Amino acid sequence: MPRQVLEDTLTADSIAADTALAASGDATAFERLYRTHVARVHTLVRRMLDADEADDVTQDVFIRAWQKLSTFRGESAFGTWLHRLAVNVVLARRKTVGIERGRFIADDQPLDETAGKPVSPELSMDFEEALASLPEGARQVFVLHDVEGYRHEEIARMLGVVPGTSKSQLHHARMALRRHLDR
Amino acid sequence: MKDIWTNRLSEYIDGELDASERDALEAHLASCGQCYATLADLRDVVARAKTLVDREPAQDLWSGIRAGLVTSEPRRQAPVVARRRFAFSVPQLLAASIALVLMSGSAMWLALRNEKTLPPTPAAVGETGRGNQFREARWKVQSDQAIAELQDALDQNESKLDTATVRIVRENLAVIDRAIAQAQHALRRDPGNTYLNLHLAKAMRQKIELLRRANALAES
Repeated sequence: MPRQVLEDTLTADSIAADTALAASGDATAFERLYRTHVARVHTLVRRMLDADEADDVTQDVFIRAWQKLSTFRGESAFGTWLHRLAVNVVLARRKTVGIERGRFIADDQPLDETAGKPVSPELSMDFEEALASLPEGARQVFVLHDVEGYRHEEIARMLGVVPGTSKSQLHHARMALRRHLDR
Repeated sequence: MKDIWTNRLSEYIDGELDASERDALEAHLASCGQCYATLADLRDVVARAKTLVDREPAQDLWSGIRAGLVTSEPRRQAPVVARRRFAFSVPQLLAASIALVLMSGSAMWLALRNEKTLPPTPAAVGETGRGNQFREARWKVQSDQAIAELQDALDQNESKLDTATVRIVRENLAVIDRAIAQAQHALRRDPGNTYLNLHLAKAMRQKIELLRRANALAES
């Protein structure tokens, strides 16, 4: 058995064991799960929301995960379950704070009119910063589709829009981001 | 400046155009340098998105989470368990899980099997309580024996494994042992709890599997 395969298997086994321990109330096991997954959750939250909300929402995700551990049946990996929970918390947060205006890029907004223009040094910001500067709706669609791998139909259900809107927002986000690629 | 095809480029990249639209767009790309260049840029964006890396938060968030756990214990599922008409005992569950492990077979296990007796089949439905108790006790002993034998074999085989692998195996054994100890402790208070029984059986199965794999790796 290749060593990497063994290590992956053992890691999965230890996560499964820690998940069961945490479900029985073992906070130490839950801390190990936190250490293993916090970077992924925090990065997802930071990209989907504003950076200054990321810490609070990440804490909320893990506390909810603790509360809901008994509903985790093991059909998927714990990381996958936690990730989906994080997406749901982020989207619920969006509704709670009532972010409605300026969420999406209007189809007729000339985001791509600068196509072909040279990128000036001051515009050459970090790709993550460029992503953070997108309108929230376009940013969330881009993160969910291009970074996290969700399909338009899933995204549309989660965001409460039609798949065509998801596709349109994705295209606008990509058009805006292409000006900030490293050259 | 854009044309009617510019807004379809992402759908083209994602394979969401039908055949006729795809053919028309590809014909357009052959004659439109701007769309061709934009398509290349968009492909770069998609590729770049796949390379983004996760980052740890600037500060450790655990203390805040830990404080939140104090007031929000995990929700148990006692009502679900209570509705169950059947509850399996640890030995019965172990019987099923260990039988699966043994049936899957490995050279290491077969080698050990030459000198030792395999655990018997699970107790049949409908047998007397006394018979079941006897078999359960025997299962428990033989399961512990199987783990002890594999552990002894691993102790002898550890020198054949590299240090990093030994460390990983030991760390994981420690995690599983904690899980077993927790489950056994909880079962002393609630012996009929199906979840705990399943958890214990699973943890013991994981331990046997881990020991078996580690021995197989050392022998390979």
